[in-house]
Amino acid sequence: MKNRLKVLRAERDWTQAELAENLAVSRQTINAIEKGKFDPSLPLAFKVSRLFSMPIEDIFEEDTSG
Amino acid sequence: MSKILDAILCKGLPLRDIKNANRVNLLALLWAGTLAVTSLSREYTWHNTMIFISIIFTLHTAIGVLMVFSFRKFLKELDELERKIQLDALALSVGITIISFSSSSILSMVGIIEKLDQSSLIMLMAATYMIGTVAGRIKYR
Repeated sequence: MKNRLKVLRAERDWTQAELAENLAVSRQTINAIEKGKFDPSLPLAFKVSRLFSMPIEDIFEEDTSG
Repeated sequence: MSKILDAILCKGLPLRDIKNANRVNLLALLWAGTLAVTSLSREYTWHNTMIFISIIFTLHTAIGVLMVFSFRKFLKELDELERKIQLDALALSVGITIISFSSSSILSMVGIIEKLDQSSLIMLMAATYMIGTVAGRIKYR
């Protein structure tokens, strides 16, 4: 799954640690999601959506390439 | 090297998760300790008494049950990436242990190797679980 987490975080000038704290997860989780190594759970995706005040589909996108 | 060290020391995990993990580790140590006491007590005459067996059996079982519940709490409250790593490591550990023992039982049936004892089972499970956890942490870092 592709996502725009890194871009959205950079727009707000947040570090991975700050975003992780806002979402109550570890910095490693944020790093793995940004790199596309790990897909977040639905509750975490909703948390991200609420935090950025954006619909989930504008942040996460299905990776149809593989 | 620092990547491996960070993975072993679970660097970056929330304090709550580290506290829960420490509780599980302490109980695992106590649980293994009761096994060690049983094994070491063989040299003494009182090791076969009903009182000693009852105490050590109750202690070992009670600590084991506590350890399972602590591990459940640890997994439930764990950061979601770390939970995936732990569950993958558990799957690896159980899978390798079952395959190793079923394969070794074939060899022991025909007398090529000795029958493996329970301590080997526990050690194999613990070793593969640890390797799986560290490998997972490195993979997602």
